[in-house]
Amino acid sequence: MRAGFLFGVAAVAAMLTGRGAVAGEADRSEGTVVLPLPMNTDGPRSLDPARGSTTYDNMACVQMYEPLLQVAYYDNQRFDPLLLAALPERLEDGKRYRFRLKEGVRFHDDPCFPGGRGREVVTEDVFYSWKRLADPANGMKAWWLLDGAIVGLESPSGGEAFDYDAPVEGLVRLSDREFEVELTRPVYRFLWVLTMFQTSIVAREAVEHYGDEFGAHPVGTGPFVLDEWVPKQRLTLNRNPNYHESYYPGPEKWSEEDRRAGLAAAAGERLPIADRIEFAMIIEEQPRFLEFRQGNLAYIELPFTYFGELFNTRTKTMNREARKAGYGYRAVPLLDMIFRAFNMEDPLVGGYTAEKRALRQAIAYAIDLDEFNETFYEGLCVQYDGPIPPGLDGHPEGHLLPGAPRGPDLQKARKLLAEAGYPGGEGLPPIRYYTNSSSINAQMTDLLRRQLGRIGVRIDTQLVDFSQLIELTNKKQAPMFSFAWITDYPDGENNLAIFYSKNVSPGSNHWNYSRPEFDALYERAIVLEPGPERTALYEQMRDLVLGDTPVVGSLARTRYYVWQPWLTNARPTERFWGWFKYLGVDGSER
Amino acid sequence: MWSYVLRRILYNVPIYLVIVLVVMAMLRINDPVAAYLSKNPTAAEIHETRARFGLDRPFLAQYLSMLGSIATLDFSARSWYRETETVGQVVGPSILPSVAVTLPALALSTFVSVVVGLVAAVNRGRALDRGLMFLAVIGMSVSYLVFIILGQYFGAFWLRERFGLELFAIRGYEGAGEANWPANWAYYCLLPVVISVVVSIGYDTRFYRSVIVEQTTADYIRTARAKGCGQARVMFRHLLRNALIPIITRVMITLPFLIVGSLLLEVYFSIPGMGNTLLTHMINKDFAVTQTIVALLAAIFILTNILTDVLYALVDPRVRLS
Repeated sequence: MRAGFLFGVAAVAAMLTGRGAVAGEADRSEGTVVLPLPMNTDGPRSLDPARGSTTYDNMACVQMYEPLLQVAYYDNQRFDPLLLAALPERLEDGKRYRFRLKEGVRFHDDPCFPGGRGREVVTEDVFYSWKRLADPANGMKAWWLLDGAIVGLESPSGGEAFDYDAPVEGLVRLSDREFEVELTRPVYRFLWVLTMFQTSIVAREAVEHYGDEFGAHPVGTGPFVLDEWVPKQRLTLNRNPNYHESYYPGPEKWSEEDRRAGLAAAAGERLPIADRIEFAMIIEEQPRFLEFRQGNLAYIELPFTYFGELFNTRTKTMNREARKAGYGYRAVPLLDMIFRAFNMEDPLVGGYTAEKRALRQAIAYAIDLDEFNETFYEGLCVQYDGPIPPGLDGHPEGHLLPGAPRGPDLQKARKLLAEAGYPGGEGLPPIRYYTNSSSINAQMTDLLRRQLGRIGVRIDTQLVDFSQLIELTNKKQAPMFSFAWITDYPDGENNLAIFYSKNVSPGSNHWNYSRPEFDALYERAIVLEPGPERTALYEQMRDLVLGDTPVVGSLARTRYYVWQPWLTNARPTERFWGWFKYLGVDGSER
Repeated sequence: MWSYVLRRILYNVPIYLVIVLVVMAMLRINDPVAAYLSKNPTAAEIHETRARFGLDRPFLAQYLSMLGSIATLDFSARSWYRETETVGQVVGPSILPSVAVTLPALALSTFVSVVVGLVAAVNRGRALDRGLMFLAVIGMSVSYLVFIILGQYFGAFWLRERFGLELFAIRGYEGAGEANWPANWAYYCLLPVVISVVVSIGYDTRFYRSVIVEQTTADYIRTARAKGCGQARVMFRHLLRNALIPIITRVMITLPFLIVGSLLLEVYFSIPGMGNTLLTHMINKDFAVTQTIVALLAAIFILTNILTDVLYALVDPRVRLS
């Protein structure tokens, strides 16, 4: 027995110390630049851009696929040509655009091509890729991006198959590399849509060759090619040896601040800089943070709960330990609109009369968003007036507007409540309030109940599954509700579209706001290019919304990205995920 | 014995058919397609999705198709959440990672709990017994999540940071087909196993102690002692053997859940096991995977019950299979 016990101990010791190479390490030969990156989920659902919808589908797809345009790394408010030779030419005041594809852009080498060699991208590939969004067989998750945008591009109804070979009036081929697109109306946001990963260019041969498996066999034009995808564990990519000529932005592109941070040092380097990306799927915060602290991840999107580990919570700057470790960081403002909202068609809280407006504004003045910010977000959110997030045209300077209905101002709230016909809350029945069921939302609702209780307003909370919440708002059955809107592209139009009356439920105008004056301003604004005239219209729309108060808000989160001292060229952003091709590794720091 | 097993299987076939029927009906009370599509689906999307997943067929056709899949182990239907994988490709690879943690954990915790329970029972009322039970209650009182968080932090992170010992991974898993799998298993799975054992040991020890205590007052124990049997012989040859029935019951009841795994452990340690898989797919309204896993678990449960009865007969000659 004693011998057996000793043998057992020896066996365990051998196992603990005899660990061999893990999968993936074998591919890291000397000198290979490897980026170990996190994914805060169990991974993408599919590597087919037409079927993607989540951030992580985006993060994965955009390393292997590319849309025609991309958000500029050095200035996330702009976009640059990616698969185009130049920015599209605007014709007929924006009703038509002419595109010219860049030369030398090839699909990845793959058995679906004759001889296994990827061919050059041509006009038909662009048309085919966009048509896939309209095909019901692809789930149509991203069809809303192009729905009603291009003349003649429609999704078949009644279950018929999509005919990819049928011509579309608004997609005009001029040559293998030139084409024009005719829009149903000259909306500027169309170009932003072309930066989104769902509009990436795919090869018809690959889709037909792989069929249902296409989502696991990406064949794109991107800087990386798929090496291995083990669902729920890892996704590894290798450099695309045939990546089209693409270079790190020159020094003139960067701001003075970015140049001082060393972001222009790699100017002129051919992309991608790294040889390999290894995504690790880590759902929970603790293991992700610990892996980062041990140097096993290149960067981390710092969870709120760990903010105090690396930062001084009062000054929001790095603490001594983090500075000593040599970490870099960037505070990335998100294009968030976190709000509480009202159904404007509800008999109790909706409507445009003075009394109804007073009721909603009374609630707005009772809500203390600073308290929400401090309690749930470590004070890291930006509170702002109106629906347009920080950094976008139409956002108030200094975030706040004088006279906007913003709490806490209990005296004003009580006065307005009396004007609404409910002095001290008397006669006002509990307002049914819906939000997504989660432990944090339950706590937020408790806080909301307490804040509104100070003026005598009671809420009847309903914590529901997110899909139920959407269904209830679609059916206009939720008098008051809460969730968040994350702007799809950095243009305030995206946040104003959700107040446009043509988007009422079941569309994205969940509050069913309907004001002819607003609609008229919106229709004028969407055809304008960015500029003072458009900004003035955005501001007028913003002020209308503030005055009617269909929403109480807003908060925009700030995420802190922290990276290892050996990671170079890091300027994290959530506006697009194609920035990993710019990242490098300083071997001397590792 | 084999005729008994065959008869029990046949008796359970109608029960299983009803279970599958009820599960399928319950999962269709709320339209699974609407839940899956959630935001603003058009009529075309709903129609196309229903047809794609075979939900436009009559319920009886779907039921018979489901039974056919289970009978032939054909799980080639597409997952709703991971559209590039079939149900079999989702469920199959997740079984071994779960079992890689739960089976050793069950074996180890059962062994340790039985021994500790035996020692405590034999020393009933004394300081040793009280001390062991006190520790067991402490272990039961601390949340599973606390053990996981502390175990991961101190066992994986702190040991390396403080002493340079990289004994355990913070997270991750390497499959059985990879090189050096035993060593990799220890690196990735031993810490979760230890945590699982620590969590369950309190509950198990108290149970096994109470089961064994019942036996300590039996006549045959007094006889054995009177005949001059030493303490060890009394404990292992007499007490333990006669307490095996409830021990087997407890272990066998746990067996079906080994496959489901420990959800919290799998999530925190990024082990791609069945628990994690089932939860992820349920949250994402993956009707196909949820339906299949529930049906499979029901089958495993029935088979485990039959196996338990057989084991009773093998262990206890007084038990007759009939």
